[in-house]
Amino acid sequence: MPIPSIIAEQLVYRYGSLLAVDQISFQVASGEIFGFLGPNGAGKSTTVKMLTGQLRPQAGQIKILGIDVARHPKQVQARIGVCFELTNLYETMSGVENLHLFARLFGVRGFDADALLRRVGLDGRGKDKVEGYSKGMKQRLMVARALVNQPDVLFLDEPTEGLDPTSAQAIRHVIREEQARGATIFLTTHDMHEADLLCDRVAFLDRGTIVALDTPHTLKQQYGERMVYVEVLAPDGTLQRREVMLDRADTPAEVAALLQGEQVVTLHSAEATLEDIFIRITGRGLAS
Amino acid sequence: MTTMMLTALIAKDFKGYFANRFFALVTVLSLVAFTGLYFLLPKTVDETLALGLVLAEAPPALEAELSSADEVRIARFATSEELQAAILAGDLPVGFVFPDDLAAQLQAGTQPQVTLFLAPDVPPEFVSIYQVALQEFVFLILGQELPIEVTETVLGPDMAGAQIAPRQRMLPLLVVFILMVECLGLASLIASEVEGGTIRALLVTPLTMRGLFLAKGIFGSLFAFAQAALLLLVTGGLTAQPLLNLLALLAGAAMVTGVAFLIASVGRDLMSVMGWGILAMLLLALPTLSLLIPGLTSNWMRLIPSYYLVDTLFRTLNFAAGWREVGANLLVLLAYAAVLMTIGTLTLQRRFR
Repeated sequence: MPIPSIIAEQLVYRYGSLLAVDQISFQVASGEIFGFLGPNGAGKSTTVKMLTGQLRPQAGQIKILGIDVARHPKQVQARIGVCFELTNLYETMSGVENLHLFARLFGVRGFDADALLRRVGLDGRGKDKVEGYSKGMKQRLMVARALVNQPDVLFLDEPTEGLDPTSAQAIRHVIREEQARGATIFLTTHDMHEADLLCDRVAFLDRGTIVALDTPHTLKQQYGERMVYVEVLAPDGTLQRREVMLDRADTPAEVAALLQGEQVVTLHSAEATLEDIFIRITGRGLAS
Repeated sequence: MTTMMLTALIAKDFKGYFANRFFALVTVLSLVAFTGLYFLLPKTVDETLALGLVLAEAPPALEAELSSADEVRIARFATSEELQAAILAGDLPVGFVFPDDLAAQLQAGTQPQVTLFLAPDVPPEFVSIYQVALQEFVFLILGQELPIEVTETVLGPDMAGAQIAPRQRMLPLLVVFILMVECLGLASLIASEVEGGTIRALLVTPLTMRGLFLAKGIFGSLFAFAQAALLLLVTGGLTAQPLLNLLALLAGAAMVTGVAFLIASVGRDLMSVMGWGILAMLLLALPTLSLLIPGLTSNWMRLIPSYYLVDTLFRTLNFAAGWREVGANLLVLLAYAAVLMTIGTLTLQRRFR
């Protein structure tokens, strides 16, 4: 395994009597897209705040790119990019002005705002005030802002939540481009489909602890059950659905019986989703 | 904190301030209005004592005294009714009515009745002065001089004939108001940044909290200073002791910037910022009332930071005070500015987390 970009060890954070993060540990490899998944209130945002130097862990240690975040937060922040969940742009400034402001804070010389805006699909709108942007455009600008310093580690908090498919696709494309450039991506989301599409590995966070951590494929193999969904035409002319579990000893016979005894209209296999697995592990859904 | 970061933040705040149309308008309007108000106020003080008199026949000694007194303007009336009408119309503050047969009553040894009419807004201490003046009149009518000799000694600069004009008295008040308008704008700007989460975005860059406050402090202080200095420049307040007055303004601007930090730490939107801001404005304006009504000055007013700005400006603008006279004021003002900036910074930091 290459040198990890993120090392978190035994992190703890409390808000008064509420234990938000309970001794979690994980590592993220350089160039990896790491999904941090869990329902609201699971401790995702608190963990991200600690990783990005906004909160100091009450116990445990974090190293980003080999630098202790608690001791040298500004050294770390110079090399990371953060895209917040809630829009926090300067609304009365233009898109270009927003990007230039942050480029100057990062000390980036010769910064090309137009090129970055093109990458996120905002070319031609850079001089417009942000207050006139749609939600999708603002989110794309937020992602662009997180990229002004060409970060080695990119933290994205729910980057596609509530976006139209075009905007969401544009952001996924940028995430993959960043990975190709060599950046490490820490993606916080409760959208399991998104995580499945993008992440090399995912961690399930529930009530402040990591309950599972692996590649989506391995998790599905370990916890999921593959199914065959069959639609048959009943004698009364209606469509009826049959489900057959794969990977069982009697599966071939069950499928053969269906094919011989019923009038099969459609037949397709499906594997468990990450959401199914999360529910199976934690006993509750992501909305809870 | 690099120069590039500092200039980027100051430029951003400047744009942000004027992007708020309300504060942009108020800033320009207050500068114009306060300057205009200064020039509308009287530039001289009428030092003559005006009074009305109903006296059928004045003795020669009194007539001579009345005609030679430059500082007393006496209006003669034929009847008591005419005198009262003049007082009620606001032409005169006071009037004496002597009986028509004054001389005969005095010769007969009876005690004539003299009526003193007063306008409703004459302060009590002035009533006593008019009563004393009335007694002097009576002595003159009787052909007698007062059996005393009065020697006048003016302590400090003799302001006779050169009383402080209302516009000069008001100037420090206008300066405080200009500074407070900017203070409200800055507080609103910071509060909106905290509520909008943009401060969080700034602080996950190499920008430190200290750097952020430094930039805000410089922007707030220089912006407030520039407006107040412009007001003094236009009103001629920089002709005497310009360096001293500019330093006082700079310290005052730093003080109100600290107050803006405090307001921003408790205000969450424009309305709450305005509420807290007006409270602060009233408090900081209190010392200026002591200039308009000198009797109001009391020791507790010295606890208000703006007292030292107001007092410094008042003395340099009107009494040609120099470094020696107001140096201590400046030191206290700078200390207040430092304390308010520190407390404001600490309280505001809590909101950033």
